[in-house]
Amino acid sequence: MNIEKMTARSIRRGIMEKQFTAKEVITSFFEKIHEKDPAINGFLTLCREEALVQAEHIDEKVKNGEQIGSLGGVPIAIKDNMCTDGIKTTCASKILYDFIPPYDATVIKKLKDADAVIIGKTNMDEFAMGSSTENSAFKKTKNPWDLERVPGGSSGGSAAVVSAGMAPVALGSDTGGSIRQPAAFCGVVGLKPTYGLVSRFGLIAFGSSLDQIGPLSRNVKDSALVLEAIQGEDKLDSTSVKHSITKDYISSIEKGVKGMRIGVPVEFFQSGLDDEIAASIKESIEKLKALGAVLEDISLPITTEGLSAYYIISSAEASSNLARFDGIRYGYRTEQFENLDELMEKSRSEGFGEEVKRRIMLGTFALSSGYYDAYYNRAQKLRKKIKEQFTKVFESYDLILSPTSPVLPFKIGEKSSNPIEMYLADIYTININLAGIPALSMPCGISQAGLPIGLQIIGPHYGEDKIFKAAYALEQELKLAAFHPML
Amino acid sequence: MKISVEDVNYIAKLAKLSITSEQAQKMVKEFESILSHFESIDKFDLSDVPLDLYSEDMKTVLRKDETSVFPDKKKLFQNVKSMNDTYIKVPKIIE
Repeated sequence: MNIEKMTARSIRRGIMEKQFTAKEVITSFFEKIHEKDPAINGFLTLCREEALVQAEHIDEKVKNGEQIGSLGGVPIAIKDNMCTDGIKTTCASKILYDFIPPYDATVIKKLKDADAVIIGKTNMDEFAMGSSTENSAFKKTKNPWDLERVPGGSSGGSAAVVSAGMAPVALGSDTGGSIRQPAAFCGVVGLKPTYGLVSRFGLIAFGSSLDQIGPLSRNVKDSALVLEAIQGEDKLDSTSVKHSITKDYISSIEKGVKGMRIGVPVEFFQSGLDDEIAASIKESIEKLKALGAVLEDISLPITTEGLSAYYIISSAEASSNLARFDGIRYGYRTEQFENLDELMEKSRSEGFGEEVKRRIMLGTFALSSGYYDAYYNRAQKLRKKIKEQFTKVFESYDLILSPTSPVLPFKIGEKSSNPIEMYLADIYTININLAGIPALSMPCGISQAGLPIGLQIIGPHYGEDKIFKAAYALEQELKLAAFHPML
Repeated sequence: MKISVEDVNYIAKLAKLSITSEQAQKMVKEFESILSHFESIDKFDLSDVPLDLYSEDMKTVLRKDETSVFPDKKKLFQNVKSMNDTYIKVPKIIE
């Protein structure tokens, strides 16, 4: 049996029905990792011993006739910016190269409560700043569809390991597209939930008003399954959701799209969009129409300008969040120093990579006296306008549909010398974070060169149930779920 | 917008980062390119947009300030590079 081809849902079922044990599942995935990861470089740390102990614990439960959690025995990979008790968490940065958290992030705690098995920590752009995973201080992750290309970023490691069959599901974080863009590049499903739906406690902060944790998976139902396990209020995150939320997405996921009103923003199909991506999205639009959904052109006039607001706000928040890394209490500490200032300055300068320093500088500039009004305040005002723009659309539409990325996966090194060109790769995803709404990227086609194409479904605040329904219906119609390069 | 090497050095000082003069030169160019991209915001009239970002129905989340003891104190200090007894060692601050 090829356990690594199975979905998270069928793995749990197989363990419950005693077709195989959790230990067999974990062993089988580690075999796959040893076979594939030397070429892909998706993992930074593997936790084989811990995973086997956890698997034995689950097998014991099954043997004793006890219930197992909703993710019982399901292996999961975690982006290396979420704190895992006793397991190295580096943010792919030299400044945290040896950091071992003394506690679990809330999402990790919730995964453990659901009996999921953490198998390793995945590579990413340093501090989640980037769109290609090339900014990692440790290694370059390759796209499983074409090893000369990037997996996207910043959750590139998580997307690559799911795509290559080294984990059925993974967690990523999304500040401006960091779950959805790598999901599109690697041909997997990636969800950025509504801001506040998933606790950020223990997620090493980049842009606190934008960051959100979400699942990467090979199909829509597994995405819903993981979201059900990790969402909900957390007293350790004051921005987490306070009102009641949908607890069960799966029972209504097959209800279809008949009568659903979906807007297609014309601004997302203008210059800069790859022709093959545009054609593939249009095919999906026709399929959804055939399924009974009503698709209409809409206008979102503020699109490209959102990118500027995003880079000002996210860099400003990053410059403040990353001030804590000073070489005193944890992380990298420089060897030679005369005084406290020099200790901090040298530790930071030697520990942070180039892109991280660029954003800290940009953010410090945007917040500095004399420029605060011109940059930061104006960006916040534009953000408010962007949010209103989406609210207005959702008064008449259930969902919005668009491409996830304007470009197909690019070659390693192709954009790394030009920050602006790299920033433009996030053009369709950043406004969603500014508005705090949820969006999912799913594979919708394959280019002539054999590269995956991603489609984005955007919903109103806490509209994940609608997103899942539409994504599931389209997934069934496209029959792409089983198509993966390394399975 | 024009940026000078002095501006870059001043920002680096605020951000507690040390940069070489070559890095500063390079950053001037990158900054000018990124900041000119930011000017795209200027085409919108934002003068009537109030700065309170969030809607009226949102309120500050408060909780009781309750202390709790972290179970494993040793773990809390496991990442410190140099310690003396229960103190973290840093260079002399007061002359």
